[in-house]
Parts: sequence; C-alpha cells; structure tokens
Amino acid sequence: MIPAATAPPSASPPPFTPRRGLGARAGDLILSDYFVLYLSIAYVAALAPFLPTLTAPGNIVNVMSNMWPLLVVAIGQTFVLAIAGIDLSQGSVVALTSVVGAMLITTAADPAVLAKAPIWGLVLTEGGGPFAGLMGGVGLAVMAMLLVAALVGLLNGTTVAVLNMPPFMVTLVGLITISAFAIWLTQSENIARLPESFIKLGKGDIVSVHIGAKDSPQIPRREVYSFVTYAMVIAVGVAVAAHVLLNRTIFGRWVLAIGMNRRTAEISGVPVRRVIIAVYVISAMCAAVGAILYSARLEAGRPTLGGGTFLLDVIGAAVIGGTSLFGGKAKIIWTFFGVLFFVLLSNTLNLMNLSSFQVDMVKGAVILGAALLDVLRTRLMQERRR
Amino acid sequence: MNLLTKFAALAVVAGGASLGGQAQAATICFAFQDLETEFWVAGHKAITTTLTEAGHQVIERNANEDANRQLEQVRDCVAQGVDGIIIIPQDGDSATTIVREAQDADVPIAVFNRPPTDLSRGIVVVADNATIAEAATDFVVEQALENATEDRQLNALIIVGDLGDPNAVGRRDGFRAAIAKHEDRFNVIEVASNWDAGTALANLEAAVTANPQIDLMFTSSDFLFPTIRSVLEPRGMWKTAGEEGHIPLAGLDGDATACQLIKDGYVSATGVQDLYFEAESALTAILAAIEAGDTAPNEVIEDPGFALTQDNLAEREMDMWGCVLLADGFLNR
Amino acid sequence: MTDILTLEGLTKDWFGVPAVSDLTLRVRQGACLGLIGQNGAGKSTLMNMIGGIVAPTAGRMLWRGQPYSPASAADAAAAGIAFIHQELNLFSNLSVAENLYIDGFPRRLGLIDWRRVHARTREILARLSLDVDPRLSVGNLSPGERQLVEIAKALHNEAQLLIFDEPTTSLTARETERLFDTIAALRAEGRTIVYISHILGDVRRLSDDIAVLRDGRLVDEGPVDAFPVTRMIRSMIGRDLGGLYPPRTAAPRPRPVLEVRGVTQPGVVEDVSLTLHEGEVLGLFGLMGSGRSELARILFGLDPHQGGQILLDGAPLPAGPRGRIRAGMAFVTENRRDEGLMMEASIADNLSLVSLREFGRRPVGLIDPQALSARTEAARTELAVKAGDIAVQPVKALSGGNQQKVVIGKWQMSAPRLFILDEPTRGVDVGAKYEIYALIDRLAAAGGAVLMISSELEELTGTADRILVMNRGEIVGGLDRAAFSDERILSMAFREDAA
Repeated sequence: MIPAATAPPSASPPPFTPRRGLGARAGDLILSDYFVLYLSIAYVAALAPFLPTLTAPGNIVNVMSNMWPLLVVAIGQTFVLAIAGIDLSQGSVVALTSVVGAMLITTAADPAVLAKAPIWGLVLTEGGGPFAGLMGGVGLAVMAMLLVAALVGLLNGTTVAVLNMPPFMVTLVGLITISAFAIWLTQSENIARLPESFIKLGKGDIVSVHIGAKDSPQIPRREVYSFVTYAMVIAVGVAVAAHVLLNRTIFGRWVLAIGMNRRTAEISGVPVRRVIIAVYVISAMCAAVGAILYSARLEAGRPTLGGGTFLLDVIGAAVIGGTSLFGGKAKIIWTFFGVLFFVLLSNTLNLMNLSSFQVDMVKGAVILGAALLDVLRTRLMQERRR
Repeated sequence: MNLLTKFAALAVVAGGASLGGQAQAATICFAFQDLETEFWVAGHKAITTTLTEAGHQVIERNANEDANRQLEQVRDCVAQGVDGIIIIPQDGDSATTIVREAQDADVPIAVFNRPPTDLSRGIVVVADNATIAEAATDFVVEQALENATEDRQLNALIIVGDLGDPNAVGRRDGFRAAIAKHEDRFNVIEVASNWDAGTALANLEAAVTANPQIDLMFTSSDFLFPTIRSVLEPRGMWKTAGEEGHIPLAGLDGDATACQLIKDGYVSATGVQDLYFEAESALTAILAAIEAGDTAPNEVIEDPGFALTQDNLAEREMDMWGCVLLADGFLNR
Repeated sequence: MTDILTLEGLTKDWFGVPAVSDLTLRVRQGACLGLIGQNGAGKSTLMNMIGGIVAPTAGRMLWRGQPYSPASAADAAAAGIAFIHQELNLFSNLSVAENLYIDGFPRRLGLIDWRRVHARTREILARLSLDVDPRLSVGNLSPGERQLVEIAKALHNEAQLLIFDEPTTSLTARETERLFDTIAALRAEGRTIVYISHILGDVRRLSDDIAVLRDGRLVDEGPVDAFPVTRMIRSMIGRDLGGLYPPRTAAPRPRPVLEVRGVTQPGVVEDVSLTLHEGEVLGLFGLMGSGRSELARILFGLDPHQGGQILLDGAPLPAGPRGRIRAGMAFVTENRRDEGLMMEASIADNLSLVSLREFGRRPVGLIDPQALSARTEAARTELAVKAGDIAVQPVKALSGGNQQKVVIGKWQMSAPRLFILDEPTRGVDVGAKYEIYALIDRLAAAGGAVLMISSELEELTGTADRILVMNRGEIVGGLDRAAFSDERILSMAFREDAA
C-alpha cells in the first residue's frame, strides 16, 4: 500500500556520479566507517620495511592479546560517550573487581603478606578464598565481579541521572574512592595463586599455530603462536553483543537520542533516566570483564590495575575510532578499529625502542589528532549537505 | 610526515643494530619498573653501562610502575627476538608470571634485586638483608657498649619497615641477631614506619619522648635519615661522633645521603647492598645461559653485602653505590 | 515646549527586510510618550537605534536639537538617555552602590573613595524613597526595589530621558503603584519619559501622548485625551485576514477528549478549566508571561501542578510525559531546536523517536528495520517533507518549515488523541505556514483534538474553532468562531481594566 515499503531507501544504490575529484574521494575515505582500519593498514605497511619484527607472527599475537582487554573496556566507555557522558571510574572498577574476584578464588594466601588486610579472616584465609576448589567457583567469582561492577555503575548512573550531577565529577570521585577502597581491601598487596581455569581466560589458547624454527636469536625457539584465545572469544563476543545493542535495538536508538539532545528525548517519551543508569552499568560491567582478562594474564588480583595512563588508552582508543565526546555519535566497529590502531601504535613505538615517556607523548599527540579529525569530519559532513 | 620519517630513521638504527650483532654480542632486553629512587637509578646505570661496554645491545623498557605494561613490554621483547631478559619487577607476583612467560617462550630471564614470590624459576639476584643488617648493627652495638660508663641497661631503637615486605622482615631479623649477642645489656624499642616517612616521624617522636635516653638506633632504610634528623636535632641528640650526646646510628641501603652522613660523622655505619656485585652477577649468569643455550636457567644468587663503617670508610667507600653517586655530585643535582 | 528627541525618516533594514521604515517622531521635553504596538512592530529595533545598539540604515536623530548618532550604549548613556528594561541590567552579586558606580569610581589617593560613593548613593536612594543600605547586594532586593536601583543609576548618570520597556512585568500591584509614583516624581523634576507597555490602561494613565507602531511604521499618534483604548487596539492590528488560511474541512464532534478542571499552580496558572472535543482546534491566546506555554507544559506532565484535575477521554492521567504519551498526548513545544529535534540526526531517526517501541521485537527490543523505514517513508510522503534520502539527511539541513513538519510527523506516527502545539509556525516562512495550517486541519478532521497556542492572533482566528484567552495565569474568556473579534480578544489579553 505504500510504495516505499517494498524498496527501502537504504537498499537502493547511491545515485551515479560520473566524475569525482580527488578531494571528494579523500572526503569519502575520511567519512567511511572503515577509515581507521585503512589508517592502521597503511601505518603497518609504511613501517613494516623498517621494523621487520612488526609483522612477525609473535608480534601479531602480542598485538592481538593486548587488544582484547582494552577493547572490552573501551566498548563500555563508548556507550557512555554516546550519551555525552564520560566514565573516569572504569580503571578503578578494573582494580576493585580484580581484587574481589581474586580474593574469592585464590587457592592459598600468605599471612605474612595479607594478614593485615581487612579481608583477612573475613573472606581470605591461609587456605585461600571461599570459592577455592569449589565446583564452578570461577564462574561464581566472575558473577561476583560483574555484580560488584553493576553496583558501582548503578551508583554512578543514579547520581548522574537523578541528581543531575556532571558525570565528570561523579566518576572522578568514583575513580578516587573506588581505587582507594581496592587498595585498602588488600593493603596494597596482590592476591596471587589463582586457579588454572581462571588464568586460562586471560591467556589460554583454543587454536595455536606452529611455524618452523626461527634463526634470529642465538637460541632457537619453540615457535608456537596462539591465535585464537579465550580472551579473543570473550572480547569479540562482547563486541558483537554491544554492536547489536547499540545499532539494532530500541535501547541503542535511545542511547544515541539522549546523546544528541536529552531534552528532545525526554519530551519524546524516552525513559532517559533509566537509559542513563543502564549505560553506566554497562560501562562498569565492561570494566569488570576487562578486569577478568587483565587479572588472568597477570595471574593475580591487583588493586593497582587500571591506574596510570590506562584511562588515556581507553578514552583515546574510543575517540580515535570516531566516537564523539559530544555524544550522539558512536559505533562499536569504530571503537574496535580505534583500539586496533592504538595498540598498534604502542607496539610500534615499543619496537622503535622509545622510552615510555616518549610513547605517552606520542599517544597524547595522536589523541589530539583524533580530536582534530572529529572536527574535520563534522565540517565535511556539513559541506556535503549543501 | 616529518615525525614519521624520524620514526623510520630511528627504526632503521634499531633494526639494523639488532640484525648486525655478531655471534658473541647478545641483545638483552632490560625491563625495569621505574627509576624513582636513588637505588634504582644507580642499579639501572650499573647494568646498562656494563652491558654496552661489553659490546652487547641493550633494549630498555620502562613500565612506569604498571605491571600490566611490564608484561606487555616483556612480550614485545620476546617477539623482537632478544637473546635474554633482565627485569626489575614491579612486585614479586608479577615477577613470577613474567619469568614463566619468558621461559615458556624459550628466553632466559634474570630478576634483579626484587625477588619473585616463586624463587624456583629464573636467575634471581637478591641481597641477604639479614646478614647485611647484622653487620651494620654489630658496629653500633660495639660503639654503644664502649660509650656506656656504668652497668645500666641500654636502649636500642629500631625503625622497622613494612613487615609485609620480605626485605623489611630480613632487616629486622639481622638487627635482632646482633642484639641477641648482648641480650642482657639491651632493651629493644621497635618503631613502626610502614616504609612511610610521615608514619616514621610520628612514631619516632613518641618513642623518643617516652625514652629520652637512646643508646643506639638502627633504621631499616637509609631514606629515613632525614626524618630521624628532624626528630633528634631539636632535642640536642643529633651530634657527630665525639661530640657530647652522640647516638650511634646505623642504617641499610647505602644511598648517597647515608654516605654523606657517615663522612660527616653523624652516622656510624650502614649496611650496603652491593649493587655492582648484583649487576655483575645478573649479567654474568644471563650471558652464560645464552652461551650455553640454556633457555630456562634457574639460580638464586645472594648478595652478601657488607657494612660501610667509620672504620672501613677509607678502603671500601667506592664499593658503596651511594658514595659513587655522591662522588658524581648526585646530591647537588 | 521644545523637543528633546526628534526622529526624522528613521529606517532600519535587516538584509533588505525593513524592521523600521521612514519613522518620524517627536518626543517633547518633560512629557511622557506612550509607545505601543504588537510583537514585531519594530519597537525594540527603534529602542536599539536610540540606545546605540544598532545603527539606522537611513534617516537621522536629533538630541536637544543637535544631530545624534550614538555608536554604543555608552554614548547614549553619556548623552543622558537611560533604559529601564524588563530584564534588569544589574549585577546581582554587587552592592547597590557598586552597581551605580560600575562605570567609574571616584578615587582618593589612588583608592576608591567609598565614603563619597556611599554618601552619594544614599542621597539618590532617598530621592526615590528607597530605604536600603548602599552596601546591600542587589541580589537581596525585590524586583521592585531593583527597578528603583536601575532608576537610581539613571539619576546618578544625570539621565534626561528615561525609556521604560515593559517595566511592570515582574512587579506586584503595590510595587507598580510605587513605580508610577516615582515616574510622576521624575517628571516633576523635568525629566522626559518614554513608556512602552502592553498594558494599555497603564499607558493611558501615565502618558501625555500616544504613538502606535505597526510593521515598522508610525501608524497613529496623538494626545492621550483623544486616544481611547479602542483606538489603540484598532491602530495596533489594522490588517485584513483571509487567503492565508486553508478552510476547515470538518466540524468538531461533541465527545470531549481533554477535560481540565481547576488546574492551579501558584504563581503560574490559576484555576484553569477547559474542555477540548474530538475534531476541535482550540486556540489559546495570551501575551508573553500569561501562562499559556506553562499551561501546556503542565498538561503534558513536564511541570507539576498542585490543584485540579486533567482527564483524557474521561480517564485521569499518569504523572510525567511518558505516561501521557502512552495515554495519547503529543506535544510540539515552542522550542523546536532544543526540545523538538535531534538536529544532527537523520530525518528518519527523528520521525521514529516517539513510536520506536512499536518496532521492537522481544526480548531485547531488536528493531525491525524494514517495517520502520516503511513507516518513516510513509510519514515523509504524507507530510510532503522536501528532502533527499531521509535515512541519511540530517534534519539540520532542512528549512524551518520542513523541520516543523518532522516534529509534527514524529508525533503523528504514534497516532495520538490530543495534540498540543505551542507556536507551531514560529520561524516558518509564509508558504510552509499554510501547509502546517492544513496539517492541523487534517489532524482535527481525523478525529484528533488540537490545542494550539500562539502569540499571533491572526493565525488563531484563521485556524481555530474556538479561542480561549489567558491573562496572568487565568483563562479570562473565550469566543466561538462565529464571534471571533480581534478587539475583544485583545482587550481580554491586555486587560486594560487592570491596574
């Protein structure tokens, strides 16, 4: 009955334009969803001749394994940025949930180290945590980590949505108090001796590849590379779910609508407060999943995880991908490519033997560049509308 | 564009160097956690200069106190195909993980000064805290006994570190062993510091007020000497040897401040971790493993250390890293 | 008596559109001139030219017989012209004395001579019978007292001409009386007054002469004795309607949709009752601040109300906009940019925002993209939105009229029973206005009820079946289409019997 119903406009081919200038094509490229992926490929192609290690299988495995935890955390941040918020507390949630998970499942704890911690005797004994050796104990610990994160997210979200406090302030307070709380819990000590089934989540292989021996080091090496790991499966799973949630569901549309114009969303009947709270819960839970991956590969619960420049990495990766700090513009695939580019950048700077200070300076410059790119994109979009 | 060419140029240098190494010259990855205190700065310098002077290629990685970053950096080193790794770890737990990671990738690894929780894997160089502390305490115990005119009980005060740290425990044990030799003569006063100058200040003030007569004092780390001074000086108890009211003071670490104070006569002795010995042995062990094709060398090397005292200052001064730094003008920088 | 200010052929064009054209007007020394006109008649442009804010395109001004062309507000103040605005221009964080002396403090030995400042301020305040401490912060004063401080500032600057622009909007009846006494006292000192107000009774009471502006021209002037309120209103409107509005296609039905009974919110609306029927377009007219937009927000659940009842189809409504949307309400606010649209988002996303829930599949609310794009495309066709690919083109790129169609369209997609339209044609050009009026007629003909709020009386008389008039938070009267009379409606809205 409606002609458009049979052929939705999105499915129709774009109008044929006979000749397009170089500038227009460059504009297309910059506006493309895949721009940062192309940028990453170009970056690798440009540096590969000078850094032979860059494309070595061992290095590719490293790049991937560094990507997964960061990706999960950055996905959570993407949701918050999409509603024009910011979640500075993610790093501290990583620390807190790392400690919470580890104290529940550690198989043994040293009283000389941990006897002064407030959790000693209460949760932790010489025989380890309450779930040590329990069937499905790791699963329970993971649930507990997610639950703790969800509570933090609930608190952040409620404060932002109901009390209308600026998210920067709320989550900055969260960052300080939660990380202090995590450090207090163990008195700054790490909780090691985690069960194998947990450690596997961070570094266990599912598919590994054997490549012939290599001759560059003086001692020949085993050349077994893990390509499909549990961490990869978890991170990609989270990414796909997040993509569907943000792009294909009512909730996702609401998230973007709030980011674009909160007043309009409110008047149009979007349950603004509930969506904001849910977004902060998602962000914190993503941080908890990141905590699983980080703690598992370090084989310890650490109250100092997620400190330092971690937040720079998370927000930087999301922004490089193209997610706007002003809200309303976000895609999970952008964040995926942003994380890829960011990890590649760190990796190559390391391979160039630059110091960590130089690495951070370059990272900062790249994030600034990404912000400028956002401005350029916006301007291009506006020009194209005319 | 300009930046990119600079990177490329740097990369050529790095890549060329690592490929061009001869059979004897090894590429060593040196991953340290941070360069925050004098001790680590000196240790870092000792290792890098020794390696480069021997013609080896050093790849440095600074983790900025982030254990996760250190793990990633060590993995990058492995991927780069280094011959061996030396790390100053962030802490004992991450050290254990990183050692296993490296050995599983067939790369020999040595851990410098901060021991992993699991001592059974990797080359581990540690200082023997108890022995060093005992040597330093012995010296001040002798001085205190000499000064004591009557037969009264003497007060021996120790500032202990964070007892969660095995180093702090070892140092206290060494102090106790030295006192035990004259058990009948000494009262022991323990002052907690938790490795924190503020805590040390408060507790020490309380202790000195309660016990105005202190006959000897031992601090578990030299970094607390300025704190001790700020407590003793207003009470007329900060004196050089020979002056009326001098208290025999001993410490441990061997930093530049301690060296200066020994020279000035305020401090009688300090236990020294022989940084140069530790660097030397870590390097020898890792290079030997590379030579032998041993991918998982496991060995614990103990640094017995020594005590630098007013008596042996002349001969052994330059064995103490703090004095070397002092001679370089470290405190004036 | 001489003229203190003379305007000769004064003209101001905004990009070729005249806001004030060829205006010649004399302000007599020591007299009070009442200046009236509808919104957009050119009063503010005229004041801005006198005040040095904008420069005239043509014509000239004479101040005490000398050519006067102020380049800034400071020039006007230096000449001796002061403005007392409806939005006060005081620093609420500074003291009364500091506000008076903000342009320059007297100094003694390089320091501010506070003793002189306070003494002089006290003296000026005494002349205005305002008994407040000069050191008191202006933020602690009542609106009436602040107004007097503004006048004190004018006196401090030795102003000879004081221009009052809607000075009584935020004053109580008592404060208004006091202001009028002060104005009388100022005139007794020989100062000249220009008084601008919508409250025609006040204008008559205070003024010696009346001048009426319409469409940027001086259409009528004369001494107050020859200027009854009826003449004022006739001169202000004076235009034919017709041809601008589409005919109504269906008559209202008897069944009530919205029933409002005694809704009260102190200081906002007072005992408002009205009934709106199926197929009816009810116009709600009132001046700025009469409570019309506030009433709309209360009806939609955005703002609270203390007393009274609101029923939709005979049933009480849940609190908050979400429940009311579900019950069948739609609200097009007066602020399209901030409250109606997501400017950066596509037309399709804007259209689908309200009715998104209908396209979700359980359990996670996965959207059916085919069904959604079919519906938005259908809505676009029906609204005749002039745009390219609605899934791509952002609403920001549309003209004001097409933007407004999108706002109405997004509500239409949820098939509501009641539309509340607040200033639906603001910022919309004449052609698109017609389309929007036609759209309003279609909404009503399809059985919906429309509550249309506007400050343009013409468009209400052109489209509504019935008009209610609000004044100071109350509904003061209503007229059926057959009895529409601009004069009656305006006289209710201006309520010249007040004061």
